[in-house]
Amino acid sequence: MTGLLTSWGEWLPRLLEGLVTSVELTAASLLLGIPLGLVLALLSSSRTRAVRWAAIALVEIGRGTPALVMLQFVYYGLPSAGLSLTAFVSAVAALSLTTAGYTSEILRGGLQAVPAGETEAAGALGMSHRDTLRFVVVPQGVRIALPSLMGFAILIFQATSLTFTISVVELLSQAYSIGAATFRYLDVLVLAGLLYLAVTIPAGLLTNRTERRLSRHL
Amino acid sequence: MSAVAQEPAVVLDRIHKQFGDLVVVRDVSLTVARGEVVAIIGPSGSGKSTLLRCINLLERADSGRVEVVGRAVEPGAGVAGRDLAALRRSVGMVFQSFNLFPHMTVLRNVSLPQERVLGRSRAEADARSRQLLERVGLAAKADTYPSRCSGGQQQRVAIARALALDPEVMLFDEPTSALDPELGLEVLAVMRELAADGMTMVVVTHEIHFAADVADRVVVMADGAVLEEGTPEQVLRSPSTERARRFLSAVVDR
Ligand SMILES: Nc1ncnc2c1ncn2[C@@H]1O[C@H](COP(=O)(O)OP(=O)(O)O)[C@@H](O)[C@H]1O
Ligand SMILES: [Mg+2]
Repeated sequence: MTGLLTSWGEWLPRLLEGLVTSVELTAASLLLGIPLGLVLALLSSSRTRAVRWAAIALVEIGRGTPALVMLQFVYYGLPSAGLSLTAFVSAVAALSLTTAGYTSEILRGGLQAVPAGETEAAGALGMSHRDTLRFVVVPQGVRIALPSLMGFAILIFQATSLTFTISVVELLSQAYSIGAATFRYLDVLVLAGLLYLAVTIPAGLLTNRTERRLSRHL
Repeated sequence: MSAVAQEPAVVLDRIHKQFGDLVVVRDVSLTVARGEVVAIIGPSGSGKSTLLRCINLLERADSGRVEVVGRAVEPGAGVAGRDLAALRRSVGMVFQSFNLFPHMTVLRNVSLPQERVLGRSRAEADARSRQLLERVGLAAKADTYPSRCSGGQQQRVAIARALALDPEVMLFDEPTSALDPELGLEVLAVMRELAADGMTMVVVTHEIHFAADVADRVVVMADGAVLEEGTPEQVLRSPSTERARRFLSAVVDR
């Protein structure tokens, strides 16, 4: 037992380094993907048919393509189209697209939950469609969608482990290379698993709390 | 009636509106003079709300002409953005369900449209908002959220929000129907004052007392058409059609 703890102590710095990369990947994917998701959610109810269809197509691609395939496509596929990105940038690009696809659906649900009477009142007051979205619909829609967005953020954090397949040095990849050097895969994977849980469990609790608080307010 | 100016505030000319095959408003014409208060009553489903919403183009009439303070549009032939904006600016509307923005304080609810629609600065808008909140008896509620206000208070905020844009005509669609009677009274009191101050008002209502006391003219609608119209005494005391008589006896006895 003490042997295991000593080894864990030795491995921990490298795994924490990997964890930081995983968190950075998650943050970057959410920061790019959620605004893109919001734009797609708004465009998917555009009055211009071509715009609406383009947005819906992007959403379906983002949602329908497995994250692993998206990663492989961006990292291995795009260079043959003349665009090579580093592993980290590829991972951010791929996970952002997936995030955009999923969160646009989540946000669309939130936007649609804003009572039509408020939009109508804003129109009757003479507010433009744009101002109505900006000041009335989007702030409330995002707030309604917040718990689901947080739930999704936890999923995308877990999905960062897939980026080890395109050699991003995140938590799982650090664990594998330690495993390869020591042949103690199980021990190191358990520690890596605990580190994932150390993020996802508090994040899950926070999500539940947010959900309760928002439902109390509305 | 004596203070009413000559140019009409609202002219509806042969307004026709249908949803699919359902004809909801059939060739209704109605003129509202400046400063006049018109009450529209009638059984539910008779097209009162739809007619009212045709005035500020929340519903686009299929045919007919809508004229507000001299500016005319024919919704069936399309409405230019500029005309829509001008029309909405001169017409305020109060809904049965208040429709305040729940994520904003009472003050922001009243100030935001002024800033966005009239281009007032935050300070100007807030000053005007506070003045109007004072007028509807809610100065103390400025910094609270709508969910912390009673229905009657929310409706008075909604009135202040519409008035803040200095409309020339105010439309009310059953403003007290969602309220307990005593809360409805607060709202009716504000509306009485507004009428006394000379505001042009078109009010869809089930409040027969309000119609009798405040309206210059009462319009009875049934099945998408105007059944009867005249002064409150004429219409409420001695309706000329059997249909209007039946409707009135039902609401007066309630
Ligand atoms: N947006 C709509 N789509 C379809 N039918 C509608 C719509 N709005 C109103 N109606 C129908 O039109 C009729 C008149 O409605 P409304 O104008 O609300 O009557 P009132 O206000 O007198 O109760 C009703 O039968 C109603 O169901
Ligand atoms: Mg109605």
